[in-house]
Amino acid sequence: MRLASLEVEVGLKILLVEDEQKIADFVCAGLATRSMQVTHCVDGNAGLARACAGPFDAVVLDIMLPGRDGLSVLKGMRAAGVTTPVILLTARNELGDRIEGLELGADDYLAKPFFVEELAARIHALRRRLAGDRQNTVDVGGLKLDRITREVSCHGRSAELTTREFSLLEYLMRSPGQVFTRAQILEHVWGYDFDPSTNVVDVCIKRIRGKIAALDEQLPSHIESVRGAGYRLRPL
Amino acid sequence: MNISFRTRLFFVAALIVGAVLALVLGLGWRSVLKVEMDRLNERLCMEARRIATQPFDAKELSRLEADVALKLRLGASDQVLVRFDEIGFEVRAGGTALQSAGWRNAPRLEDLTWAPARFESGPTTGESGLMPPPGERREGRRASEAEPPQPREPPGPLEGRPGGTCSLASFIHLDHDWQAARFDAQPGRAVVAADLASVKADLQSAVQRALTLIIPLVLMLTAAGAWLLASLSLRPVNRLRSAMKGVTKNALDQRLPSAGEDREFNELIADYNTMLARLEASFNQASRFSADAAHEIKTPLTILQGRLEHAITLSDNHAIQDDLTGMLDEVGRLATITRKLLWLSQADAGKLALQRTPVPLTELLDELMLDAHMLVTSQSLRSDIARGLKVQGDVMLLRQLFNNLLNNAVRYSPPSGWVAVRAVMLPGGVEVKFSNVTTEVSAEVRARFFERFFRADVAHHSQVEGSGLGLSLAREIARAHDGDLTLEAGPLTEVTLRLWLPA
Repeated sequence: MRLASLEVEVGLKILLVEDEQKIADFVCAGLATRSMQVTHCVDGNAGLARACAGPFDAVVLDIMLPGRDGLSVLKGMRAAGVTTPVILLTARNELGDRIEGLELGADDYLAKPFFVEELAARIHALRRRLAGDRQNTVDVGGLKLDRITREVSCHGRSAELTTREFSLLEYLMRSPGQVFTRAQILEHVWGYDFDPSTNVVDVCIKRIRGKIAALDEQLPSHIESVRGAGYRLRPL
Repeated sequence: MNISFRTRLFFVAALIVGAVLALVLGLGWRSVLKVEMDRLNERLCMEARRIATQPFDAKELSRLEADVALKLRLGASDQVLVRFDEIGFEVRAGGTALQSAGWRNAPRLEDLTWAPARFESGPTTGESGLMPPPGERREGRRASEAEPPQPREPPGPLEGRPGGTCSLASFIHLDHDWQAARFDAQPGRAVVAADLASVKADLQSAVQRALTLIIPLVLMLTAAGAWLLASLSLRPVNRLRSAMKGVTKNALDQRLPSAGEDREFNELIADYNTMLARLEASFNQASRFSADAAHEIKTPLTILQGRLEHAITLSDNHAIQDDLTGMLDEVGRLATITRKLLWLSQADAGKLALQRTPVPLTELLDELMLDAHMLVTSQSLRSDIARGLKVQGDVMLLRQLFNNLLNNAVRYSPPSGWVAVRAVMLPGGVEVKFSNVTTEVSAEVRARFFERFFRADVAHHSQVEGSGLGLSLAREIARAHDGDLTLEAGPLTEVTLRLWLPA
């Protein structure tokens, strides 16, 4: 499946510090398909050394690490004046680690298990936040999304979206043509704490479709259902 | 009845003091009475001897009575009876030398039980020697009235002494107790009797005067003492209690300080601290175990989820994608249960880590209601959320809490039912109520609502999803915020969960 994300800055350099090889494998593969260059370290000391040595766009840091744990790596980085954005991967003591991590200067955290798609979305969100969020609108094939007013517009007509609707549409619009599963959408839009057995994603998609259809009678809909998999924005 | 330790202590102290007081008074009264009686007996014997050894003229009777009454320290002469019979009186009838008028109604002397007088003369009763000095024996009648000082004699019974014997008896006369002394001597037999009532009455009034003063004083002192004692003994207990409160409320790693406490309380504190240490160790072990278990489970789940996600992205085959998506949902379910179990175990150990920030509750609930509109199928939805609600809390955990309550309400309300959310500001905090109509839920089922892995088996909802951990986790989150989640009493076909969060 071809991935053509509008927002993907080609060649984002990511440092992944993760001791579990199998996790590192799919994260590396997943981020690579999203055009990121991933450097992988398996222990804390090496991770800290690499983070301090080379310029990275973001560091993805596991907390349970041999040698030196993730929080200590983060501390060392910030002490050395390295301001690279850091996303923590928490598993063991998620609630406590998130507080400590954010206090130590982490920019975001993801609880295991996580989707690589979500990790990529967080990395981009971080990059955008740090870059000062120059781009207030997303434009995909005539469909325009305003990040400030949360309005979707088409052919000069616009409709207001709710928080969830906006968040969902923005997620899909990040990578037109890419299929997003219900689980991915649920985690990104509602957070993992939402009951996964509900059909809230389908209802929300239906509402967005309804609002877009009112602006643009053209068929088929901008949002496609992919049988068995999930949803995607119609590829360009 | 639940009376306070202080009251109990007061009553016990009052009882003990009262008993001791009664005992002391009783014994004291008896010994005072005995001493008084001994003294009276001694005087009676002396008077009897005087009359026996120095016979008076019958005409002098009233003077003698007055004299004896004075000597015995009695108020009036009618409180004494004197009598003198010469030896051989019984033979020569009418030969009585001397007899008070009162004797006529008194019991006959022969009917009385006479006991020989015995005086245990200590230093204070030195005048028990009733024998006149040898030289004075039959000399001038008036001379002995002066009762010249007599040399002390060794203690011992009067009986068998030269000069005569004294015996004692008591009898009832004119409804009064009388004490009589009889002195048998050479010229005749003398009997002197005194009315005890007046003797006792004097003593009693003196004691009563003292008691009216002493008893209230003793009771007041007892009350004050018991109060003081209770305060004193309760002070370390109170100190201990407030320290224990602090420990249970916060973390288990605290210990009570034992410095400055008394030995008994030091032992108690040491025992309590030992118990606390054991509790902490076992809590930590359990919490570490579930944290380790959660980590061990999460790692393969992460790998599974990541690989499935990757495979779905790569595949173009819808059937395979469908399968993989199904698996992904199951992995997600496992991950949710694992996370909830971990949080519950942390809550049990009192270690649910909260990141407290000001939470705009109204906005959070408004957002929740938007979700609710997407969640409900055919149920009607009502909401009444006050504006400007704010609490201090962990946004992520509160969101989880609300999601659980909402999902629960929607899940258990029948297709034609309703779900209502009401949030109000109350003094001290915010109250949020989630209500839904449901098929009849019995009291037994209601009682098990917060049990872990419990799912109400509602007949027409055989396919109720959810782990059965949502409500118990919601309650733990509420409690970690110093609030609570409770089930409101109401009709059996309605369920209302009341969340209380302090502001």
